[in-house]
Amino acid sequence: MEALRLENVSKSFDKVQAVGDLSLTVPAGKVYGFLGPNGAGKTTTLRMLLQIILPDSGNVHILGQLNSREALDRVGYLPEERGGYRKMKVHEALEFFGELKGMKRKDCQQKIDYWLGRFEMAQARTKKMEELSKGNQQKIQFLTAVLHEPDLIVLDEPFMGLDPINALLLKEILLEQKNRGAAIIFSTHLMDEAEKLCDSICLINKGKKVLDGELKTIKQNFGKKNIILSYTGTADYLKDSSLVKQYNDYGNHVEISLNDGASYKALLQRALQEADISRFEMVEPSLNEIFISTVTQN
Amino acid sequence: MQKFLTILRREYVSRVKTKGFILGTILIPLFMIAVSVLPAIMVLLKSEDQRRIAVIDRSGEIYEALYHSLDDSTETGIRKFNLRRQEAGVENLDAVKKSLADEIDKEMLDSYIYIPMDILRTSSAELYGRVVSNFQENERIEDAISRIVTETRIKRSGLDPEAVRQLTKNVRIVTFKVGPGGKEEEDRGYSFVMAYGLAMFLYMAMFIYGAIILRSVIEEKSSRVIESVISSVKPFHLMAGKIFGVGAVGLTQFLIWTIALGLISAYGVQVAVMLAPGAKGASLPSMPIAVLVSFVIYFLLGYFLYATLYAAVGAMVNSEQEAQQLQWPIVILIIIPIMFIMFIIQNPASQTSVILSMIPFFAPIIMLARIVVQMPPLWEILLSMFIMVATIFGAIWVVAKIYRVGVLMYGKRPNLPEIIKWIRYS
Repeated sequence: MEALRLENVSKSFDKVQAVGDLSLTVPAGKVYGFLGPNGAGKTTTLRMLLQIILPDSGNVHILGQLNSREALDRVGYLPEERGGYRKMKVHEALEFFGELKGMKRKDCQQKIDYWLGRFEMAQARTKKMEELSKGNQQKIQFLTAVLHEPDLIVLDEPFMGLDPINALLLKEILLEQKNRGAAIIFSTHLMDEAEKLCDSICLINKGKKVLDGELKTIKQNFGKKNIILSYTGTADYLKDSSLVKQYNDYGNHVEISLNDGASYKALLQRALQEADISRFEMVEPSLNEIFISTVTQN
Repeated sequence: MQKFLTILRREYVSRVKTKGFILGTILIPLFMIAVSVLPAIMVLLKSEDQRRIAVIDRSGEIYEALYHSLDDSTETGIRKFNLRRQEAGVENLDAVKKSLADEIDKEMLDSYIYIPMDILRTSSAELYGRVVSNFQENERIEDAISRIVTETRIKRSGLDPEAVRQLTKNVRIVTFKVGPGGKEEEDRGYSFVMAYGLAMFLYMAMFIYGAIILRSVIEEKSSRVIESVISSVKPFHLMAGKIFGVGAVGLTQFLIWTIALGLISAYGVQVAVMLAPGAKGASLPSMPIAVLVSFVIYFLLGYFLYATLYAAVGAMVNSEQEAQQLQWPIVILIIIPIMFIMFIIQNPASQTSVILSMIPFFAPIIMLARIVVQMPPLWEILLSMFIMVATIFGAIWVVAKIYRVGVLMYGKRPNLPEIIKWIRYS
């Protein structure tokens, strides 16, 4: 079962291609990271899948339906541009958006009470939106994306502007939503968050897809393995270019990328000859590394 | 449809609940009454102050009569014109005038009147004062002197002033309006006032409700809430919900005003008689039902047309300041019929009037004025309504496209070729 499928979607603005021939699939019940540098076409793509703007060509299947507006009632969306009806009271604004998604007023009110409690904002219920802090306004706007328990949640830079505590809360809620069975697609350029949350990712650059798939597979396929080594003694072996391609030496802690064809055993043996080794660990490449190397190669 | 209603309800409730709406509903009619009635009341108000006036009567024939004639009293019951005779001969005239001017300067005197020796021949006198811009008082004094001079002349010629007054009495024309079916009705300028008043009302309503739409669109754009909304509802439904919602606010206000007006015409005279027994027998103008119905229809048609245009302006701009610069074509369209209104009221069936009332942007104000003054043939009314409805649909079709693209555009204001591109490609 797939929550979202884009087929060869393209969009240009004034002859500048924002998104070109993009295809991707978000499986149901998974967290999908939509990554890319600034101006890569992330927001344009997310807007197209909500039919805020229409693609020049290609198809958008949402929850199994092709270009359907009805399906959008089961989608929640947090736009990149943050804002709300400033003069409306918090609960009125939430009821309004809930009803726009086809919720009954009564269900709305129950959910609102639950979520405001969850965010420790119960006392803000009857406040006007403009009286809230920026961060709290953002939380209310996030609520409009999850209030109606959508099957697909689309979030454009959800971590932008959140403090660490609220970022943690957001992560927790996203995992809950995933466990409830919802698919989540979110754009970000914070690789740390993506790495911890995502089951799959898609990396786009200049409107084109450069990499996609399950995060695990991507990391395995990326091939390069790094070694972290803690030592006391000398470290002349680092200069051996047959073994070491690149390193970061912190004095008693060093991060090493092995040269192609070199074996980690050989490196360990060399190191043991020269120093006392207290830690020797092989680590997978970080998403950050994959991101930078893919985008700069591209 | 459900979403359209949700949008409509939000627009309606969020406006009707505000202090602005409640105040506006009360203040707008008060303001209109004030504007139309206050100047008249101000004029009728008796001035509190006594006027100290010196009179140099060189002819010697005017002062006595003038003293009796200017017997107005102030609110406190004393003589309003406190006249004092000032003797002066040929030789000391300039000196006397000079000393009176000094008195005026020292505020011991308000003004002085100089009546020359030969006033019966020259029909000319002079009034000097610190303030000479009070038309009412000037006119009062002028009338009094004028009548005295005339009567003196008549007496001199050996005629009886009373007989002359009878002979030269002015004729008064009483106007009757002949309505449908030849029904006659005395018209004391009501149809003029009503046509003018309703036209001004529509004129103001177009501006007020248009501005509400404009602000509403800009608010959603500038607060960036628009994207959340149109991820749930089609831009067209959002625009339609907004226009109908604000329209419902307008109708609510009308309903309140109509009920208030109904109460006033039902009980107003009784209340007036209670307050001032002299008002007995007075009657308030009543609005014929045909006028009321066409008023509501043309209000709605005009509202939908201009609200749609204002929605387009709102979608094109980023702020209210920018909107000021872009809305002038609409403002001109609203003002033009008001510029013609006097002509229309005086010549309701002329060819110009008929043509102007067929132009959809002018029809609400002009056709309504025609209906009040002289009911045009039914086919003309229906044709103008049909043209308006067709124009409204056309405007909605075009504006929906501008709206769809415009609400997501931030930054540079689009120019005309860009807007045409929006319309063609969206």
